Amino acid sequence: MSQASDDKLPGRRRFLRDAVALALTASPLASLAANAEETAEEVTYAAGPRPLVAYPQKRPLLVVSTRPPHLETPFEVFNEGAITPNDAFFVRYHLANFPTRIDPETYRLNVKGLVETPLSLSLAELKSLAQPVEVVAVNQCSGNSRGFSMPRVFGAQLGNGSMGCARWLGVPLKAVLAKAGIKAAAKQVSFRGLDKPVLPTTPEFIKALDIDHAMNGEPMIAWSMNGTDLPFLNGYPIRLVVPGYFGTYWVKHLSEIEVLDHTFDGFFMAKGYRVPDNDCQCVAPGTVAAKTKPISKLAVRSFITNVKHGDVLPLQRMVALKGIAFDDGSGITKVEVSSDGGQSWQTATLGQDLGRYAFRPWRLDIKLASKGTTQLMVRASNRVGETQPLHADWNPGGYRRHAVETYHVIVA
Amino acid sequence: MKFVTALLGTVLVGAALMAAASPLEIKLPPETAAFKPSPLPGYALAQQKCSICHSADYINYQPPGLSLAQWTGEASKMQHAYGAPISDEEVKIIGTYLATTYGSAKVDAAAVVASSGIASQPVPAAMPPSNAMALLQGNGCLACHAIDHKVVGPAYRDVAAKYAHDPQAQGKVEASIRNGGSGRWGAVPMPPFSQLSAQDIHTLAGFILHQ
Repeated sequence: MSQASDDKLPGRRRFLRDAVALALTASPLASLAANAEETAEEVTYAAGPRPLVAYPQKRPLLVVSTRPPHLETPFEVFNEGAITPNDAFFVRYHLANFPTRIDPETYRLNVKGLVETPLSLSLAELKSLAQPVEVVAVNQCSGNSRGFSMPRVFGAQLGNGSMGCARWLGVPLKAVLAKAGIKAAAKQVSFRGLDKPVLPTTPEFIKALDIDHAMNGEPMIAWSMNGTDLPFLNGYPIRLVVPGYFGTYWVKHLSEIEVLDHTFDGFFMAKGYRVPDNDCQCVAPGTVAAKTKPISKLAVRSFITNVKHGDVLPLQRMVALKGIAFDDGSGITKVEVSSDGGQSWQTATLGQDLGRYAFRPWRLDIKLASKGTTQLMVRASNRVGETQPLHADWNPGGYRRHAVETYHVIVA
Repeated sequence: MKFVTALLGTVLVGAALMAAASPLEIKLPPETAAFKPSPLPGYALAQQKCSICHSADYINYQPPGLSLAQWTGEASKMQHAYGAPISDEEVKIIGTYLATTYGSAKVDAAAVVASSGIASQPVPAAMPPSNAMALLQGNGCLACHAIDHKVVGPAYRDVAAKYAHDPQAQGKVEASIRNGGSGRWGAVPMPPFSQLSAQDIHTLAGFILHQ
């Protein structure tokens, strides 16, 4: 049995909500509870809600689309720790034509283009090509939280579950390119995997990095995730890992690397995954950008992981809040929480540092002093002075959402 | 990023070299999502064409309430950007089905367009004017309201529906924004926004009533 009933999750939420409402029926807070029943946390759909379905090597995840597979992590998972388990890690394919059987013995990674020696590496050759490196890094979809864009935009209507943090093990991309020998005229490096379009008229999913970025030692070709082989749907047997950059560059089932003497102009670089070319990477809601650029680095974000919209929190008692924060690798330096709608902020205690590209856990004990509805907000800042805006900005693709998260709660 | 110790590296590489790894094979779950039924000709066409590249749920989980112009634009994007094998005429037929079944287009208008075979007139997008959106964002309205679902306060669409047949709707909603209030939509009070200019309040009320 791989498929949960369509209304399992909302049904459960409704049950909890009703239980809260029932408990408060006799009190003046009854109407407050009723008002919190529809939560801003839940994205609405033309024909939703989305079911939870278990895919191979995965626990039940939220279905964004069945084909190509596109699955989100239920948000509760992020409260389990700074490492996202492999079986809960989100899945995102653009194109439905990919193999469902991969033989690691015959798998090859080809390196071609502007190189001295084209390569066709077996997995064993790749793994012994350089000393393995590891990094704990967040992979976040460019469109994570797109469903909260207002006005709404087309595209996968993602909640906040298209992100995850894992320990990746592999070899530096630099080492592979160095073995092939980069020619002087190299400008970009393109990457493709085994996932292909269904129709020949559909653009191939190929991504590109500038040569300086490809050679700076940070991007890696990983075969291990959290100490085990990559799950099939996360790119088995190897994927590109680009710490600090959005997931669109983390090409799965990596099969071909090409060194180019020009800026790659394929659809998924030149037309798709582009943001307004200005400081905020945003435009006035509902308008288009005059000039765009490829999406690149992660913005600073933070979440409370143990509180959700509509929760009832105790009055005048310590509440232990916890959550996560992350950025593009500049390094999270501060997480603050407001319990008065952003008037005042308390600084949280940062938890274990698993590396500058990782989820940074935080916790904070707060005491809520007045009854009724209030808003908990969380805001992170990083080493280079970047923080989160109170109000979400907007771009036509619904990319890179990073506003302060607000949780409507009831103090009783 | 850090180097794994030489020892660990050796062990891993050794294991990789020695293990005769067997193929990894997965079986994807069955596709159960279906397009919403409709008497419109675009229903069959969408099942036929859209399903070539993606399952129906990709459409089912788009936002509610999008307009005919928006849905037709999306069908056109599939034709032009993603190479969907659909003609200009089929873009309109599919757009009409999607906008009527999943969005805000009215069945009557769509049926007329569909049965006449006449190219649909361009319909102004339901996209709000940007100045109303800027006011909503700049004044924190969206912390408590959303267009299509209840947050703390009512969905703007519900407000519009409530006043749909009230000739004094504009004045009543303007007063609610200016003076705030409570009790009409629940016990949580809406604060007064008396600092806004009469023109801004007029713009906001007009925007809300057109949702």
